[in-house]
Amino acid sequence: MALEPILFAFFALTAIACALGVVFHRNPVHCALLLVGVLLSLSGLFILLNAQFIAALQVIVYAGAIMVLFLFVLMLLNLRGDGRVLSPGATKGFGFLFGVLVLVELLWTALSPNGGEGGGLPAAPALPPDFGSPAAIGRILYTTWLYPFEITSILLLVAVIGAVVLAKRKFA
Amino acid sequence: MDALPVPLAAYQILAAVLFTIGVVGVLVRRSALIIFMSIELMLNAVNLSFVAFSRQHASMDGHIFVFFVMAVAAAEVAIGLAILVAIFRNKETANVDDVHLLKG
Repeated sequence: MALEPILFAFFALTAIACALGVVFHRNPVHCALLLVGVLLSLSGLFILLNAQFIAALQVIVYAGAIMVLFLFVLMLLNLRGDGRVLSPGATKGFGFLFGVLVLVELLWTALSPNGGEGGGLPAAPALPPDFGSPAAIGRILYTTWLYPFEITSILLLVAVIGAVVLAKRKFA
Repeated sequence: MDALPVPLAAYQILAAVLFTIGVVGVLVRRSALIIFMSIELMLNAVNLSFVAFSRQHASMDGHIFVFFVMAVAAAEVAIGLAILVAIFRNKETANVDDVHLLKG
């Protein structure tokens, strides 16, 4: 019995259950912790897909840094029981309707072979032995994708400055 | 290399379901914080799709894209939460229904 389908089913079901919890749980702190569950399940799926470095980044950057920021703001704002969690009447109805439409469209696209043009996917080519390793990712990140990588540093710098300015300023 | 142990379509279906849950979360929740979490959910669904296609085509460009998506998500969360804190200081609320200054 192959191990991969069992692991895939486990991680996929955990991810979907935690994602539903994120959207429908009342307590925001529980929502944040369930989102960590989604992120960790996806990290497991990344390992199944031979993306070890991305899986490590997922745990360190997403589940570590970004979720700590979320929980910090959650504690800072101290949001407490203000009755309804979901939007009122019509907004909620349209939300669910639109969600069903998006799901149907995405599944239609995902399941039609080769984007609806027929022929199916080509066979998977052979994986290079260092597929997904930090060395291999670093090699293409610093050659082919060097300029986007440098621009990312500017983006993060702007984000840091913007966050400090926004959080410090007293608005009238 | 042989075919994937789990077919690519399974990963696509999972990504579609997670993305839809994120869309519904953005549309039906009132708290701006939960809306941000739902956006993270959608970004992660797209990341899963990138990595699955990357594995299918044995090309690591998808991994690089996931890297950039993570950087953009980090920047977006930092700015978004700063805006949220600023709104909360002014209006004592984080509900998107209560922030309607532009409404006539």
